[in-house]
Amino acid sequence: MLKVNPPDTYWKKDVALFFGKRFSLVIKLLYPMALIVPVAISDIPAQYAAAVIGIVAIMAGTFGAGESLTMDLNDGILMRVALTPLSPRRIVFEVLAVNAVLDFIQLLPALLLVYAFNPAPLVWVLAATFGVFATLLTANCIGIFIANFTQSPADVLLYATAILAPLIYLSGFFRNRNPTGLLATLRDFVPFAYMNDALKAVFGVATRTAPLEVFVYPALICAVLAAAVCLTAPRLLTPRF
Amino acid sequence: MIEVENITRRYKSSGRGIEGVSFAVGSGEVFGLMGPNGSGKSTLLRVLSTAMAPDGGTFRVDGADGLREKRKARAAMGLMVDRPTHYGDLSGWANAYLFARAYGMEEKEANAALAELFDYFGLAEYRDDRVKTYSYGMGKKLGLIEAMAHAPRALILDEPSLGLDYSSQLAYEAKVRELASNGVAVLLASNQVDEVEALCDRVAFLHRGRLVETGTPEELISSIKGIRRIEATLRNPVDYASLGDVAGVEHVTTEGCKLVLQCEDRAGIVADVVAGIVGAGGDITDLAVRRPSLEDVYVKLTGEALRDAEG
Repeated sequence: MLKVNPPDTYWKKDVALFFGKRFSLVIKLLYPMALIVPVAISDIPAQYAAAVIGIVAIMAGTFGAGESLTMDLNDGILMRVALTPLSPRRIVFEVLAVNAVLDFIQLLPALLLVYAFNPAPLVWVLAATFGVFATLLTANCIGIFIANFTQSPADVLLYATAILAPLIYLSGFFRNRNPTGLLATLRDFVPFAYMNDALKAVFGVATRTAPLEVFVYPALICAVLAAAVCLTAPRLLTPRF
Repeated sequence: MIEVENITRRYKSSGRGIEGVSFAVGSGEVFGLMGPNGSGKSTLLRVLSTAMAPDGGTFRVDGADGLREKRKARAAMGLMVDRPTHYGDLSGWANAYLFARAYGMEEKEANAALAELFDYFGLAEYRDDRVKTYSYGMGKKLGLIEAMAHAPRALILDEPSLGLDYSSQLAYEAKVRELASNGVAVLLASNQVDEVEALCDRVAFLHRGRLVETGTPEELISSIKGIRRIEATLRNPVDYASLGDVAGVEHVTTEGCKLVLQCEDRAGIVADVVAGIVGAGGDITDLAVRRPSLEDVYVKLTGEALRDAEG
């Protein structure tokens, strides 16, 4: 059995905090279900159902890492941790990875209910699940990137909106569903788009994206984004005076 | 050992900072750093803790270059910032354990060191309580435990005793002396005069970003022979500006309901000061004439008080 408390690594600290606050944990697990399940069992068009799930994943991911990081930066506790011999890049990587996994744990029950209410081929179920995880990882990268520029959790919301709005547009959640030319090319670099396609497939809409593409391209894009965000670690963890 | 050579760091916004600061803290030595707000103490500690890069100069912690070998320097260092922060929803033990492991301690080693320190600082009973339920003083003790647990070769403490109760303060001072006797170099930034005089082998004064004097407490205090320190506790606040006009009074400051005067050691000075206070409308409830302290030395050298004061 993995022992997370007392934590011996930074990521275990986040896990211990996540599971340590029971009321907060219940809320965290319930709110995705409250938003996603009514959509999953309703008769709304598949593309909108997929879009709602996608938006919930993006918001959970972006605000998860961004908010907790800015709060820890404000408290000064993250700076104190950064003054230990731990590598700043390792700290940021742990923040990124653990937040993505914890966000995924939050969304998983709701996703399982979606799959239960909308039976789909296993390959699409797996692709959609992976697409959601890649989206969470991307969103957490964006959250950490934003934390480089602000120490206010409220500003995270503002900056996140500015960054996410064009990405959501590019991904074709609501508009720009069949992009051409440059928009189509740019869409291929946004992991949200692959999740959206996979979820639409789960809801029974044909998509031009193959399941394999949902696994391969977002994985590559996430790896690049994660590396880029980890490179910002020394700046992120340097006190701003 | 901590070696600091010609460290300079200026804030572009205010122009304040530190300029050409050099000193060394030997193994087993407790070195005090004193200076009022704005003297550059915090800036110097930020640089030495590797939180901030200097504009110029170098420093070494236990032989590790603080600029080029940051992680090595950090590993050799125990650090307590003036307001230790913790993860409030984790227990005190979990917080300290996280730091101990971050400094590279193995599980058994960390458990043994922390158990001893929690017991020593009287936190054993509260080790499993969430830190957000801790008092300020308990948070400070936890900060001390986190700084000391990994047996650092150098200890940097910023206002460590502020907020500690009397018995905890004694325990902390005894622990610092014990660590020093085991060869740890201790850099202690504090304006608590009693603490610095009791603990430090040498003291440095920072004034407007520069080191203005360094020496043992005895050397520094004996350098201002001919100075008396008069402390008058008053029942009521008074406008004490006129006391500066009393012949021989060099500096007047307040410490709570106390007036502190640095005066020439001349016959009749105490009577003149008392007359001045009474003349200003002061009702004296207690009066003490003391030997000079490090604070008086600082005032003599810089014309400014160590702690927040008026006058």
